Amino acid sequence: MASGSGSGSGRWSEDLETEAAMAMGTTDVELLKRAWRNEKAAPEILQFEAALVLRAREQIQLLEETVEEFTENGVDDLVVSLYQMDLDRTLFLLRSYLRIRLQKIEKYMIHISKTNLWNRLSEQEQRFAKRCTDIMEKHLGQSVLSRLPYGYQSILKQSISSEEDDMVPEPQLDTFVFCKTKNAVGAFQLDDTGDEIVDLVADDLYVLRYKSIKGLVESGRIDLV
Amino acid sequence: MYGRRASQLLRELACSESGQLTAFNSDAFDQVIKECKEHNMQLQSLIRKIEDENLDIQTTRNEDHFGAVIHHLSLIRNKRCLMAYMYNRAETIQSLRWKVGPVLPQEIQEKLNYSEEEYFKNHSAAIESCMSELDLDLTVDMVPPKDPYIRVRVLDDIGEVCLGDHSISLTKHSLHFLRRTDAEPFISQGMMEEFLE
Repeated sequence: MASGSGSGSGRWSEDLETEAAMAMGTTDVELLKRAWRNEKAAPEILQFEAALVLRAREQIQLLEETVEEFTENGVDDLVVSLYQMDLDRTLFLLRSYLRIRLQKIEKYMIHISKTNLWNRLSEQEQRFAKRCTDIMEKHLGQSVLSRLPYGYQSILKQSISSEEDDMVPEPQLDTFVFCKTKNAVGAFQLDDTGDEIVDLVADDLYVLRYKSIKGLVESGRIDLV
Repeated sequence: MYGRRASQLLRELACSESGQLTAFNSDAFDQVIKECKEHNMQLQSLIRKIEDENLDIQTTRNEDHFGAVIHHLSLIRNKRCLMAYMYNRAETIQSLRWKVGPVLPQEIQEKLNYSEEEYFKNHSAAIESCMSELDLDLTVDMVPPKDPYIRVRVLDDIGEVCLGDHSISLTKHSLHFLRRTDAEPFISQGMMEEFLE
């Protein structure tokens, strides 16, 4: 349903992204679906789509008001349930998107806090991550680490003689993912040594290691399926 | 010693079904901690022995050095096993908040040790705080919606519940036609079931 094209709200968004999206015929729901699919398939947490989430919430709000209005005015049940279905589906996408992100933060909280993945989180997610790490540190500290001998009490390093933080779980970036690109990318180098070059044609389905296409996913040129 | 007891702990973890917790094995856990102290004592005494013989601690490679290395490696292996045990259980506890809700049934509570119970409460509070900041309940809508309304049969006496703008009396064995998102928390706790024709 083209609820993203502003039917009823009649406002031109100054957001360049929306204009470009509308020009390409992509509604906000499509964008949300794409963000949700990418987030689901990617092993690491992706950039938070703040503007998109905001617009999605506004549209959900609009849909809720429309459904209420219709029910009060006694509009045909079928029409009401169609709008309700659309509302439910958009809500599901939004909830699932946010939930997947929170669960990724739960899984890799220490790694995210230590690297520039931190910048991909929204403000609320950052607060959540900080709280999670504090709670986890307290829990592991009081049950394990404080009872171990001096020099072995770090949550990040195995012992003080470790050269780097070797006890932090990291997402596996070389897992295989299914991907598809809308516009042809052309010859693409898969690894550092330049041995494997793949020709990425539009609308073809590929199975590649996430690490190789990380940059393309981040710039939005390829979608995970 | 030397990581054997610790790997028993992990074998317990591996044998249990994913998403299920076994009772916290505090006996084995405490034993492994004791072993760590034992290894550390041995390690320290070997290092002192090297220093007493006026040899350079960084470069000496005699039997004492290698003995110390073995104790050190056993210690960190024990540490890794203990941390893995606690961390994996903590991950399961996190998933319980999403699957079951803010209150754990008695059978699960019994399996947690004191620190884990605290951890569950704190983690649960963190999730709730995040959800209230977002003004969205993220623990419902776990599967893609097919119908906005579903038929449910109430399994336990729940009483009067306020759903939306009207309150409904949920008595045992009664059938209702509710919004899916309203019914989901009750279904996940086992107090209602979907009534499929």
